[in-house]
Amino acid sequence: MRHLRVFWRICVETMLGIKHSGWSNWLVVSILAIALTIFGSVLQLTMTLKDVVNYFGSQMVISAFLKDNFEPGKVAQEISQFVEVRLVEVIDKNKSWGEMQKTMKVASIPNPLPNTLHIRVAKPEQVEKLAPKLQLLSGVEAVRYPMMVARRLNEVRHFFEIAGVAVTAVLAFATLIVIGNTIHLVIQARHKEIEILSLMGVGHFYIKCPFVLQGAFYGAVSALFAAVVIIGVELYVIKPYVSNELVSFASMMPTGFGYNLVETFLVMLALGMAVGAGGGAWASGRYIKI
Amino acid sequence: MIRLQNVSKSYAGRLALKDVNLHVALGEFAFLVGPSGAGKSTLMRLLYREEVPTSGNVFIGGVNLNKLSSPQIPLLRRRLGIIFQDYKLLTRQTAYDNVAYILRAHGIDEKEVRKRVNSALNVVNLEDKQDAFPDELSGGEQQRVGIARAIVNGPPVLLADEPTGNLDPATSLEIVQLLARISQRGTTVLISTHDHTIVNTMRRRVISMRAGEVATDIDSGFYEVQGQIQV
Ligand SMILES: Nc1ncnc2c1ncn2[C@@H]1O[C@H](COP(=O)(O)OP(=O)(O)OP(=O)(O)O)[C@@H](O)[C@H]1O
Ligand SMILES: [Mg+2]
Repeated sequence: MRHLRVFWRICVETMLGIKHSGWSNWLVVSILAIALTIFGSVLQLTMTLKDVVNYFGSQMVISAFLKDNFEPGKVAQEISQFVEVRLVEVIDKNKSWGEMQKTMKVASIPNPLPNTLHIRVAKPEQVEKLAPKLQLLSGVEAVRYPMMVARRLNEVRHFFEIAGVAVTAVLAFATLIVIGNTIHLVIQARHKEIEILSLMGVGHFYIKCPFVLQGAFYGAVSALFAAVVIIGVELYVIKPYVSNELVSFASMMPTGFGYNLVETFLVMLALGMAVGAGGGAWASGRYIKI
Repeated sequence: MIRLQNVSKSYAGRLALKDVNLHVALGEFAFLVGPSGAGKSTLMRLLYREEVPTSGNVFIGGVNLNKLSSPQIPLLRRRLGIIFQDYKLLTRQTAYDNVAYILRAHGIDEKEVRKRVNSALNVVNLEDKQDAFPDELSGGEQQRVGIARAIVNGPPVLLADEPTGNLDPATSLEIVQLLARISQRGTTVLISTHDHTIVNTMRRRVISMRAGEVATDIDSGFYEVQGQIQV
């Protein structure tokens, strides 16, 4: 109960500190919010790419396109001899061409499609083992499997991840300094008060804690602003774009695709508060001499 | 209660205190007098551990202040009531809140805070001004808030460095008499001053310093005038 009251008093001190900081509150929050928006976007992007990569990576189907002069049934027979293969499905080129003509209204040209086999394996990791073997078969023209796309995406994701970490590190450091300096100014403005509290025997923790909380508060508010920006972009820019322009691509995606915005927000909140509290702790440790 | 053993303090090689030995017993009331630069404030700062002696030991209630770690300093100061020439009130808080601050910082519940603050404000006779901010109070009233704040924790020792330095003679005497009344309840009180009238009116123990040394230390003394001591 007593500790709760002390905690409450510290919160009151923090709120007073924020109130007395005036315009510099907004300076700190806007800089931190920009940094967190960039961080959040990169996070969202890499996580989404990771989802896509995992989705493709977990596919257990290999498509084999056959040469025209080979009998699909025979090749299928041959392929089903491999131990990894669980099921081979023959997609007749005339049948799929017919379907495509129905749905997409393509011009009446000779059927350009090859006969295709869909080969299912038991485990995702078998895809990459089996695909080169299939490629060697005489009846197989080409082999495609989602993992190829996944690899490409993974490279892209890797780049964004590294770039994201670098950008975040730089921004975090910059905001740490901005917050540290802002709180330094607050400490300077209140140095007489701090001296009085110290002479009255108020504990060091009680004196310093509000400045750390003030930093954490900046982090929380900035994370909120950044989340609003990211959610806004997601809802009003990305979602309509995906559903209008990329409808065919999007339809391939599993439902619920995309990284959870709530999780992104929580990560931004944690990072923002950590950077804010860090700036406050640094400034109060360095500039409050008691 | 207060003891200094061979205490010296130098600032950049200049001695502000030279081998000071002093003892103020529990419940005693004493003046610390001397010309400007004699070392009164320096001595006071050693007592509330704002400074550490260059050599020698300072004890409060048997505790050697040299041995205090930084987190222990607030604990010491809570056992001291410190009164300043410039009052050192929190300007953004009312008289009541100034006095209540330290209690609230320790999580004492508001009912108990009210009881103790009212009692302290009652001692300094300032209950009717409890909602005023420091800039709405006269110097004497501000100092009385300072005293209420100093005694609200019931400290065994009160230290006052020139508490009347900014006050007119009549108010000064009032303040010192108030401190004397508080000391009657068993509080050890040490007041630094160069106000002759007060010292001569009160006729209490007078510790006289000159150039960083204790020159004289007399019970029921007078302020030293031109090197002569009237007894
Ligand atoms: N922080 C400091 N740095 C350097 N010298 C100091 C410091 N504080 C005090 N002194 C020196 O120590 C000596 C004693 O100063 P002190 O303030 O204790 O005198 P005092 O008796 O309180 O004088 P006054 O009556 O004017 O308040 C002076 O010579 C002063 O210049
Ligand atoms: Mg002085």
